[in-house]
Amino acid sequence: MGVFVRSTATIAAVSLNPFSSSSSTSSTQSSFSSLTFKPRHSSFLSLPPFGLVNSFTPLSAATMDPPASHQSEDGASLPELMTEFMVDMSCDGCVKAVRTRLQTVEGVKSVEVDLSTQVVRVLGTSPVKTLSEALEQTGRKARLIGQGVPDNFLVSAAVSEFKGPNIFGVVRFAQVSMELARIEATFSGLSPGKHSWTINEYGDLTRGAASTGKIYNPTNQEAAEELLGDLGTLDADEKGEAFFSGVKRMLRVADIIGRSVVVYETEDKSVPGITAAVIARSAGVGENYKKLCTCDGTTIWEATNSDFITSKV
Amino acid sequence: MQAAIAAMAAQTVIFSATQSSSAALCSFPNLTRGSIAHSSFFGVSVKPAARQAFSLAAVAQRPMTVVAAAKKAVAVLKGNSAVEGVVTLTQEDDGPTTVNVRITGLTPGPHGFHLHEFGDTTNGCISTGPHFNPKGLTHGAPEDEIRHAGDLGNIVANADGVAEATIVDSQIPLTGANAVIGRAFVVHELEDDLGKGGHELSLSTGNAGGRLACGVIGLTPN
Repeated sequence: MGVFVRSTATIAAVSLNPFSSSSSTSSTQSSFSSLTFKPRHSSFLSLPPFGLVNSFTPLSAATMDPPASHQSEDGASLPELMTEFMVDMSCDGCVKAVRTRLQTVEGVKSVEVDLSTQVVRVLGTSPVKTLSEALEQTGRKARLIGQGVPDNFLVSAAVSEFKGPNIFGVVRFAQVSMELARIEATFSGLSPGKHSWTINEYGDLTRGAASTGKIYNPTNQEAAEELLGDLGTLDADEKGEAFFSGVKRMLRVADIIGRSVVVYETEDKSVPGITAAVIARSAGVGENYKKLCTCDGTTIWEATNSDFITSKV
Repeated sequence: MQAAIAAMAAQTVIFSATQSSSAALCSFPNLTRGSIAHSSFFGVSVKPAARQAFSLAAVAQRPMTVVAAAKKAVAVLKGNSAVEGVVTLTQEDDGPTTVNVRITGLTPGPHGFHLHEFGDTTNGCISTGPHFNPKGLTHGAPEDEIRHAGDLGNIVANADGVAEATIVDSQIPLTGANAVIGRAFVVHELEDDLGKGGHELSLSTGNAGGRLACGVIGLTPN
């Protein structure tokens, strides 16, 4: 049975099949709805009567990330998520230090550490960026190796990487429930100011952002309503860096695999974006304990997103 | 079987001989969407010789289907050096996937060409996971029975450093449980020994050396 569910979901992703059966967002808006009326997004909110479709809840669009910034003004926090790191630990003392440090991070609910595999699992509401910084503060190398709610989703995590030459960034998507996905993004190399960003329907980069199609909108909502693939705006600081952490209602990670994230020069989305990256499958919790790249002997502590070797032509 | 391979070979460079088993796997989920009466067709489909007839029949009898007859995907490969390229994938219904490869900037000669489980390169080769291997087998050649689905063999660059290849393979569908969308192609520095080099890495990676370039497979309009 599991096989059937999986294949159906994946086929839907490829065929643009509207996943509209559960798009009745009107039931409970809870604490999130108040946030959707932030002035920042007023341009998208002016028309829908109750903001029901404006499901995006930017919780921290600030560039730098103060420790408690995942808490919005009225206390709504990110939904809980399991994040798995590999941490360079070699002794029981290290385990204790890592555990102790993580437990002081706001939003962390539980920490599991396995010294033999060097795997640390953190359950909580904190952004990945905050957790990574806390781990680095212990003086140990740490790498994110998985994200998601264990066993609940076949495809629980996705990542979109922007590799320059001017704009660099990583966008992570994680499914936390059937109706909610967490999104976290870091960018550099942007021009200071606001930039719209969207999920577009195709992951075709043969002509860069120009070949990624329209903004992803599986339910064909009316033009007046916010499109599902509209991620709002990124605020780049004077150094051109932007950080985003938030949630998106009704977004299914399995359905956006192979599509793309597009960033625009300004808030204007009527022109093609300035950069785009394909949304790739990423490991869920427990799905990738690879530590050594056996093709060339690179270890996880040496690995980077650009550790290609140079062709000797 | 032989006839089918011969027919396909006329238009292909590499062809997987293991398509019969995977064809059954790929098409199996369709049973949930179509009626149970379709099962007889899927039984027939295990024989590659009957593929063409089967495919046409399946299209005609699947009112529920929303998948276009030809599915397409594309990956743009980039690295740090001059190596770059475009790989396009097309698949008719539940048939084999045709992979068109054009990569430039390579050293002349063979280069291992693989599909990895994840498209995540935030930690380089590590976060892409192993070769895509839903059946849990060891590394091999594309035509071997025992291989990773992601083992696409070698592409061969000419004297100008350009590698062009057309690969037809039945283990890398664009839809279904083992869909390759969102996973990553990697082109390597060295030749993939196809599991037969006797090196300790032969049965896991083909001992193909470091990565020259990679690209995530994305959706493209049909």
